[in-house]
Amino acid sequence: MKEIVQYKELATRYGFTAPPECVARLTQLVAQSDLDLEKVARIIASDKELRARLLRVANPKADDPSEYVIDTVEAALMRNGVACAVLIAMGTPLSIALVRTVQTMLSMKLEPAQRRSVPALEGEHLLARIGFTGKATGQVYLRMDMDSAMMIASAILGVPVAELTPGPDVNDAVGELLNIMTGNFKSNLCDAGLECRLQTPDVRSCEDLETPMVPGGGVERMVFRLDRIVMHVDLTVNPWNGN
Amino acid sequence: MAIRILSVDDSRTIRLIVTRSLKPFDCQVIEASNGEEGLAAAASEKPDLILLDISMPVMDGVTMLTRLKEDAVLKAIPVIMLTAEAGRDNVLQIAKLGVRDYLVKPFKDQQLIEKVGRVVTLVKKPGP
Repeated sequence: MKEIVQYKELATRYGFTAPPECVARLTQLVAQSDLDLEKVARIIASDKELRARLLRVANPKADDPSEYVIDTVEAALMRNGVACAVLIAMGTPLSIALVRTVQTMLSMKLEPAQRRSVPALEGEHLLARIGFTGKATGQVYLRMDMDSAMMIASAILGVPVAELTPGPDVNDAVGELLNIMTGNFKSNLCDAGLECRLQTPDVRSCEDLETPMVPGGGVERMVFRLDRIVMHVDLTVNPWNGN
Repeated sequence: MAIRILSVDDSRTIRLIVTRSLKPFDCQVIEASNGEEGLAAAASEKPDLILLDISMPVMDGVTMLTRLKEDAVLKAIPVIMLTAEAGRDNVLQIAKLGVRDYLVKPFKDQQLIEKVGRVVTLVKKPGP
């Protein structure tokens, strides 16, 4: 208790921003060994965005809500169980961290988008990937086409796109974007009791669009866009043992 | 005399942003890409301020800060943590070691200037 008070004082002094209350509550709930799915359902159902995310994860083949087969929070949790709740609890801080990072560093307002509404990613693109291990284990994949990567790097570095060429500078800038968003994400998870460590990030251009998954694990696919910039974020979580 | 600021971060992008943010001021930014390089630079350059990341290869920021505070000469150099990791345990551990401030990435140039300006006196370079 003393440490929490101390941390709150330091957080105020340093000017930290906390994740939304419903997200913190959900993550704390998921971190408990005796997870209560009814409580999880109540928190998710009370928040429009969490509800939308859960239904999207529960209907992986649907491109938009009109195609959902599972359309209630209870049905989604019943069908997908704990792994689904874990994904939602973890995906939300990640999504918040990405939007906040882009908004703060680049003064750009990224918006979540439906996969169907953005051009499909194909051919060579930039992939930035980082793993996390601990009480929660999985991977974060950040993909974007080269044009988007160049525009992001240009905005971060303050260098016109015309003066940039694909390579180390662009990779480093996109890698730092991933580092910041996953660093924020990790802090939120650790504070909620899902202690984990980040691995070394890997940034490279590639053509492979596969997001490998451990059998029994889950994946949440998120898309964000701002004008011509489109970012695809996949979060995979390994099977949950609740320990 | 120019203020000397040591930026210790494995990301070249962050070191570039730090240098760019402080460019209007009469200060020199010295760069190091991990804690080991950072300690060596702190000892040889005697900066007025260190901006320190946490997660870095070779030697992380917490280890560098610990070693810095164990050194009779270097422990007086003020440190601002500049990191994406502001989890409770990290912050409490680092606060115990002793830092002047903590700036969480992502940050705006102005936030960095404000935090740095509270520790050292930033003087604008004369216009062209």
